[in-house]
This record gives sequence, structure tokens and C-alpha cells, in this order.
Amino acid sequence: MSEQVSIAEARIERAPTVLKAYGLGSCVAVGLYDPETRLGGMGHMLLPNRPSNSPLGSESKYVDAGIYQIVDELVRAGANRKTLVAKITGGANMFETSYQTLINSVGARNAKSARRTLGDLDIQIVGEEVGGNRGRTVEFDLATGKMLVYCAHTKEPLSL
Amino acid sequence: MPFRKLNNVQMDILKETSNIGMGHAATALSQMIGQPVRLRVPHVTITEISQVPEYLGGAEKMMVGITLQVLGDARGSIMLLFPQESAHRLICNLIGDQGMTLIMNEVTISTLKEVGNILASAYLSALGNMLHKTLIPSVPLLAYDMAGAVVDYVLIDLSKSSDLAMLVETDFIGESPSDLAIKGHFFLIPDPSTLDMFLCVAGESQ
Repeated sequence: MSEQVSIAEARIERAPTVLKAYGLGSCVAVGLYDPETRLGGMGHMLLPNRPSNSPLGSESKYVDAGIYQIVDELVRAGANRKTLVAKITGGANMFETSYQTLINSVGARNAKSARRTLGDLDIQIVGEEVGGNRGRTVEFDLATGKMLVYCAHTKEPLSL
Repeated sequence: MPFRKLNNVQMDILKETSNIGMGHAATALSQMIGQPVRLRVPHVTITEISQVPEYLGGAEKMMVGITLQVLGDARGSIMLLFPQESAHRLICNLIGDQGMTLIMNEVTISTLKEVGNILASAYLSALGNMLHKTLIPSVPLLAYDMAGAVVDYVLIDLSKSSDLAMLVETDFIGESPSDLAIKGHFFLIPDPSTLDMFLCVAGESQ
């Protein structure tokens, strides 16, 4: 069974579900997994940091708030907070650019925010495939905790 | 202004301005490729940001995206999307036979960017004349990848201020038999603050 995680969405499921996010550009997908209970979650997030005045309910739009939300939900569903591991992908800069200042690679800032937030939460990052200028489709298999990353211009997926 | 508050009259204003702007752009395109280009009446779509990739025919569909910033008296972005087969036909029309599939190299990339530039400039100059505003396109940027990945950069900009995206979309279709036609989507994505100004000026001139 597979479940799609759309832009600005975060969801948790248990094995044997496969969580999928299609066509990530500058967005990042962060997968969190507890190997013991085989509970996992994934967020498909757009922006690095949640401003303090942002409305409630929009957490999964932001990398930092989205990660906190997934961790909370996983723990509430019975996952062991201590054994959670994380995988990150996405955060590309799709348009090669001559005016960096206008774009200032939001993809890179998204990836950075994911690393920092996971660091703050003391969650180990066990796989990472970020940056570059390619789009990615992600499959996060909760039966195994494996994350497959497909790119449009390469045939074989990368396994994290 | 929250997008969902737009009324029918305002929607019509946006459609009509886009229609005129795109008319100019289509004329430019048809002169470039030497065949007529038809326009579909533009529609204004207001949709959840998360639904935009689906709306474009699926997040994984291969597309060439050309994006430009609108600079000057108004701010926003323009995104031109060509499905890969259409981009390929467009290139063959402009610079001669390029083999069976779309290959991205310096020449093809630069050709497609130039198409984007010409279309956006024609569109913005018509729009600017109508609104008595100066609208200038930035340098075009190009990506050839999955639709979701190509558009999320525009969505990121939008999502800073809203959960909804407003897209003014015009499809254009070349005249050849339908499976060989060149198809494209043209999106104008105004900043929310620019949208106010837009509606205000366009409303007065009616």
C-alpha cells in the first residue's frame, strides 16, 4: 500500500505502507523511522523556518515545525523517541541562476534547516541525498526503513 | 488580499488582461515558427498550493519550465511550461531537425530561453500598456525535469504569504494535427500585493 505525501503535507503511517513524494525540487522530504515499531513519517516541506506569527495548522509547510510535528505524532502513536532515525532528500536548486540574490537557493536553506532541527532533537541522520539541480521522487518503505530516490535523468534509483 | 475573496468581475478582469497579453505573445510565437498558434481562453485558477502539480498533469510529467521574474512597477513571476514533446517540436521548428528526442545542449537551452523571453516580453508589454505600468522581464531561467520539481520554486515564493496559489493560465496550441501540435501553459503568478494594484488599475480603466 502506498500513500502520497503532497506539498506542505506531513503524515505518519506504519509498516507495510510506502510513503511517496513526487517531484521534489527545492522542497525537502524528511523521513523519520523507528526500526523497532516500524512506525515512520514523512514530510514534504517548502520553507526552512516557521515564523512565529504563522497561523496554526500550517506546520507542515515548514521544515523545522514539520519535523517537530512528525516526531510528536510518532511518539503519540507509540514510536520510541530514542531510536528514531532520519533521512533527508530534495533541496535542489532547479534553475541555474545568474541572480543568486533573488533566489538565494531556498533548497539549500531547507536542507540546512532539516539538519539543524534534527540535530536539536538529537535524531541521527542516517541517509542524505540533497542539493544539485535535479528533481527527485521519493519512496519511503516503512517495512524496511529504506528510502529510494528516483531522478528523471538517471535510470536507477538511489537507495538510502 | 486573500485570493479566495476575488469576485467574478475581478476574475474577468484578470482573464481579459491575460487574454490580451497572451494574444500578443501568441502572435510573436506564430511569427517565429511560421504557423498559426491558437489560444485557449485563459482561466484563472485559485487552488491549494499542494494541488498545483496535479493540476499540471502530474508531478512526475517531464516538462521544460522557463521562469522569469516580473520587475518594475509590479512584482510576480511568469512560468512557461512545455511538455517535453512540445519543447522538442518547437526546437525542430525553430532551428531544424534535432533527432528523435529532446536533447538539452547549449543551443537548445538558449533557444528555449529565448522563446520564453520573447513570449514574456510580448505579454508584459501588452499588459503594461493597458495598466500604464512599466513591467520588465528578468533574465529567463530554465529547468528540464519533473513538473513538480520545476514548479515548486514558484510555489515556495507564494507559500510565504498564502496557502493558495492564483494561476492565470493560458494554453496555446499550434495548428498541426493535434498529436503533433505544440502545446504550452503560460502562468502569471502575481505577488499578493501586486494583485491588488492590478485589479485596482484594470478596474478603473473599464
